[in-house]
Amino acid sequence: MLNKELDGMKNIILKLENVCYTYEDGTEALKGIDLQVERGEKLAIMGANGSGKSTLFLTLNGINKPTSGRILYNQIPVDYSRKGLLALRKKIGIVFQDPDNQLFSASVTQEISFGALNLGLPHEEARERVEKIIEELNISAFRDRPTHFLSGGQKKRVSIADILVMDPEIIIFDEPAAALDPKHARMIDEIIDQLSEKGITVILSTHDVNRALIWADRVALIDEGVIISEGTPDEIFTNDEVLAQTNLEKPTVLRIFESLCQSGVLDRSLSIPHTARELEQYINEVTK
Amino acid sequence: MIVIDKLAYSSKFRYKSPGLKASFAVGSLLICVGAQSFAVSFITLAVMAFLTVFSSRISVAGYLKLMCIPFGFMILSTIAVVVNITNQPMDLFSVAIGGKYLAVSHSSLMEGIRLVAVALASVSCLYFLTLSTAMLDLLSVLRALRCPKIMVELMMLIYRYIFVILDMASAITTSQNCRLGNKDFITELRSLGQMLAVLLIRSLKKSSLLFDSMESRCYDGEIRVLNEAYPADKIESAVVAGFLILMMGIAVFL
Repeated sequence: MLNKELDGMKNIILKLENVCYTYEDGTEALKGIDLQVERGEKLAIMGANGSGKSTLFLTLNGINKPTSGRILYNQIPVDYSRKGLLALRKKIGIVFQDPDNQLFSASVTQEISFGALNLGLPHEEARERVEKIIEELNISAFRDRPTHFLSGGQKKRVSIADILVMDPEIIIFDEPAAALDPKHARMIDEIIDQLSEKGITVILSTHDVNRALIWADRVALIDEGVIISEGTPDEIFTNDEVLAQTNLEKPTVLRIFESLCQSGVLDRSLSIPHTARELEQYINEVTK
Repeated sequence: MIVIDKLAYSSKFRYKSPGLKASFAVGSLLICVGAQSFAVSFITLAVMAFLTVFSSRISVAGYLKLMCIPFGFMILSTIAVVVNITNQPMDLFSVAIGGKYLAVSHSSLMEGIRLVAVALASVSCLYFLTLSTAMLDLLSVLRALRCPKIMVELMMLIYRYIFVILDMASAITTSQNCRLGNKDFITELRSLGQMLAVLLIRSLKKSSLLFDSMESRCYDGEIRVLNEAYPADKIESAVVAGFLILMMGIAVFL
């Protein structure tokens, strides 16, 4: 009970306690995950391919039921009955990595309306929501095109609209920038930033350390089904040991910053720069 | 098939009411088949061919090419109607084979030509529909006609995944050809077999991933979606009704 109150105070929206998941073929994908997600935070989950990120995501909204351990959503253990699962999935949406595994309809409107109607909304309200999302994500220009004629970036936007239309509290992105060109990747980043501004909790997996350093409030490193380390980007990306364990490079900005500190150009007491621009300013100040 | 799909999306009639287009095409088709008359068939064929070429980006040559596909089958099946095996020679021409005759009469020839005319007119009706109406809109017509839900849902998923699976197939074939998978006929056959095997496995995998993603969006066994509505224009409906009545009139009185 004490724990529960504490979690409520810290506004913990999602909590995993020693969650294990084993596939039917015996593969142990998750081996005791402990993780807390605060309401409205930006959490990046990083780890190699096959480290269990996608399995973890499917476990978060009840597609995979933990073989042991438990998940608490708003301090209440997840109810795995049909009704409980529907209630959970209304609140936790997943944008899948490959839109072709998500878009089931050839029509953009049909596709986006699916989730809205599954919430039990009346048709008029669902239509209003669909129109609003189409407007917000700039989908209007290609809404009449069948999904098989859309580009990768356009499909991605539709797949995000799919989830947004359900108005979830947590949105999970499985490698949102995968296979996108820089322009579309930036566009998706902007959409994700807007979600955070609205107070939606965002969990995403990425291999891009530079992006994670700029974007995340917190980073969790996962390796072979275990969270080996978690903390602020500053803590994680200055910890060479855990980075090496997950085969992650140190973000470029940090590497240059550390090297400049070592050679005495910059002062170690400066706060850690997150963007190239911040580092540039430090250097400009010194060379002035 | 992909070409027809593309043409349907770019048709000038794409945003016309699918119900109206379907009634026009299927109505004309039924009258054609029911009337079995030259006049009805020719008028229908002419109207449909004109509307199709006018509304879609297809060229006249392209349209004729499309019409040639069923034409070949029609000729083959008409031969069976036109040519008789008889004991007596017939009026148009006869070839003696053993004790029998392979013979064609005036009436059987006319019968054959009429069959081809009816068949071509019917095909033109269906081409009009497929070249002016996107698959999705046809599905909304089926839904409105209260077709079993499971059938419409399956058609919707199959239609979507034809393109996904075709993409996969072509990517696999390209990667095989990059490694000389098509260097000779035998190798090509072997590559084809391997491609199909991989395709099956990947399709199954994809279907399970799709199911997960639908479950994530609270899928409960029924696919509910909003349809884009293109209501029928009153004048257009009147024109279609007028045309169908005219054709019925011709069928009855001529």
